[in-house]
Amino acid sequence: MEKGVHMAENVCPVHGTILHLSRQLDSGALTEPRTIRISEEILKLLEEISNGHAGKDHLSGVNDRVAEFFKNPGNPQGLKTGTYLKKVLEKHTPVFESHIETGNCAFMDCIRLAPSPCQMACPAGIDVPTYLSLIAEGKDAEAIEVIRHDNPLPWVCGLVCTRPCEMMCVRARIDTPVSIKFLKAFAAERAMSHGLYTNPPQKPLNGKKVCVVGAGPAGLSAAYYLALMGYGVRILESLPVPGGMLMVGIPRYRLPREIIDREVAMITALGVEICYNTVFGKDVTRDSLEKEGFGAFFLAIGAHKSYQLGLEGEEAYKDKGVVDSVMFLKNVALGQRTVPGDRVVVIGGGNVAIDAARTSLRLGAKEVTIAYRRTRSEMPADVEEVEHAEEEGIKFAFLTIPTAIVGNEEKVTGLNCLQGELVKKEDSDRLYPMPVEGSDYVMEADAVISAIGQFVDTDGMDQFQEVQWTRRGTIEVARASMETSQHGVFAAGDAVTGPATVIEAIGGGKRAAEAIDRYFNGMPQPRSPKVPVRYRREKHIEMPASTKMVLKRPEMPMLNIDRRRTMFQQAELGYTENMVREEARRCLRCDICRRCGKCVEVCRDKMGIDALKFGYMDFDNPGETDFRKTAENCIACGACVAICPNDAITMEDRNGERLLMLCGTVINRQKLVHCESCGAIMGPQKYLDYVNKKTQGIRPVTQKALLCNSCSREQSAVFNVATHPVTPNLKKEEACNFEGVKK
Amino acid sequence: MQFRRGQKIEVYQPSKDEAWESYMGDFIGCHGIITDPDTAINDPDALIEVSLQGMGTHRLPQDCLRPLESHT
Repeated sequence: MEKGVHMAENVCPVHGTILHLSRQLDSGALTEPRTIRISEEILKLLEEISNGHAGKDHLSGVNDRVAEFFKNPGNPQGLKTGTYLKKVLEKHTPVFESHIETGNCAFMDCIRLAPSPCQMACPAGIDVPTYLSLIAEGKDAEAIEVIRHDNPLPWVCGLVCTRPCEMMCVRARIDTPVSIKFLKAFAAERAMSHGLYTNPPQKPLNGKKVCVVGAGPAGLSAAYYLALMGYGVRILESLPVPGGMLMVGIPRYRLPREIIDREVAMITALGVEICYNTVFGKDVTRDSLEKEGFGAFFLAIGAHKSYQLGLEGEEAYKDKGVVDSVMFLKNVALGQRTVPGDRVVVIGGGNVAIDAARTSLRLGAKEVTIAYRRTRSEMPADVEEVEHAEEEGIKFAFLTIPTAIVGNEEKVTGLNCLQGELVKKEDSDRLYPMPVEGSDYVMEADAVISAIGQFVDTDGMDQFQEVQWTRRGTIEVARASMETSQHGVFAAGDAVTGPATVIEAIGGGKRAAEAIDRYFNGMPQPRSPKVPVRYRREKHIEMPASTKMVLKRPEMPMLNIDRRRTMFQQAELGYTENMVREEARRCLRCDICRRCGKCVEVCRDKMGIDALKFGYMDFDNPGETDFRKTAENCIACGACVAICPNDAITMEDRNGERLLMLCGTVINRQKLVHCESCGAIMGPQKYLDYVNKKTQGIRPVTQKALLCNSCSREQSAVFNVATHPVTPNLKKEEACNFEGVKK
Repeated sequence: MQFRRGQKIEVYQPSKDEAWESYMGDFIGCHGIITDPDTAINDPDALIEVSLQGMGTHRLPQDCLRPLESHT
């Protein structure tokens, strides 16, 4: 290695450079703002090279930034950093190129970050185990701080997220997933209520401006992260309220308006300007915004148009009992509280259909039926939402194929339907609903609400001529950066995915904010979406194995059924504090135990003990897991501790016992045995028995007493001296030393 | 194949759909869980949300996926 580049020869240059730059930045050694900015940008690019997410322009992006250091010869910090990096890059260019081209690191240093499955599953990449640990300890505000690194709307998501994290939760392989969503809601509510829900520090304004079209979850998310990075952000919103579908698509009994208002207020507190009742392309144009200095656009326009049913009578009875779910829910959200009819039929099987049905009931409908063409098991709606609807008295008509809307000219009187059956079509293994001949009947109704899907409203989008649209009617983007085919125009949310989830929109907004920042700084965009970031490693929470196994996911207390049927009061009442703290402790801490299985293998195959029953480690075929069973066979030898690559299994001698812990769960606790001669700790009796049994054949038992190795050797030496005469040729000093040992 | 929430799947081939991007080639061979099937109209053409082990959550076309087991 050349002078001035202090990197060990056996360290990967990519990894070594990341370490060097991180240390420089974290230690405060760099104080000059320009040097810090360039170093941070280089670090970001290097991390992507390291973890296999770099594109072909990344290395030139790094070189360009290194060259920037030398443009200001009067800055010694920049020159020093630049010189270091230049030398590394000159010497190791092929290694950097190899990382980009192959995604491999020959040094095995650039191990891809492996966040927990729940964090990986979250489209926004929230560091779930960290915030659950903080909630378990009662540190709700800190938990919210961790969540808001990746999601500016934790309270909203705590109530309405579709929780992919829980679907990947490893605890579900043992019993039930940790109730991640509700814990988040609790922490947000508590932090807000105590005045501890605060914004992180903002970078100074950089003079650049971004226009966000749409104040839904994607738009709000992008605006939040851009504002934190120092951009001036203006959001254009055609509605008179913020939140997009959060506000006008999700009913208030699931997500109270005050929660949206409070979290939006946190975002506007960063200086984000929201212009309500402002339609892009009509009230303001792209040209006028560009003249104002807006250098980038983020399109988060959602998917606010409903598909038509295409049934006879649909047009004729429009607004005479026929309404689409998007319009219906929007009108209710904006204050129109008239009952759609005594007998309401909602057509569809998704969450929107359930929302429309439950809303109709709360407005005073006497009978609400959801008509769905397939069966219950094909319904895409959340199982819990379906259950709640049934509890409230919503009826379900499965295998029901509507054929026409009928009425008396004035208003709707019914829905003509056919009974259906699911059949397989040729060359397809999908089941399709087919009408049963002669099964037609009329479902009496005063109102028919269609909820069969939504699409993107393209009004105003002709301002961006180069933006490409997919055949699905959504905006085409590169998913890693959310950049459209028009330079400087980005998009995310339902406008890109079609009607999807809140958390996907939030994740897309965050990704776009980062990409917009790169766009302004001329940095290359990543090849693939960023791997979520772990922010810290919270310490284990110690608890007995029995507690870990016995703790159960709590039931959500619900508002009484009469109120649920008549009011828009929040239906889920939330967990009590005790429930929350205990539930958070059920987390297995998969950010620490990566389930590599080395502990299980060494215990079973090398030690021949097979004490670790960790069936949850297998994703495809999980087996039995019972942490309590470890103690039955475990000898506390520590082989699992020694082999664990991530310090997930630890062993500790405390108060006369040896404790074996897996991420804080005490899976074995055995009394320690002490040397009868010197009092040194020898280990648990089970372990000593194991060692004695294994070594019985190769060494004679010299004594019956329990002695440590040191005392045992000493006694053996005494025994040998007594039984085997010492050679007379020993030098005087050696004889003295031997005497010393004897004592 | 009609996918359902919670179903275990494998990404077994590249998709022919326009929504398939080159980086998605890294997912081939990965196992995961369907976290959000097409939400309203059971459209075989819809992009569905899949959480892949070690790879994160993505919306993918359905022709690159196959089930690992029958849904229970």
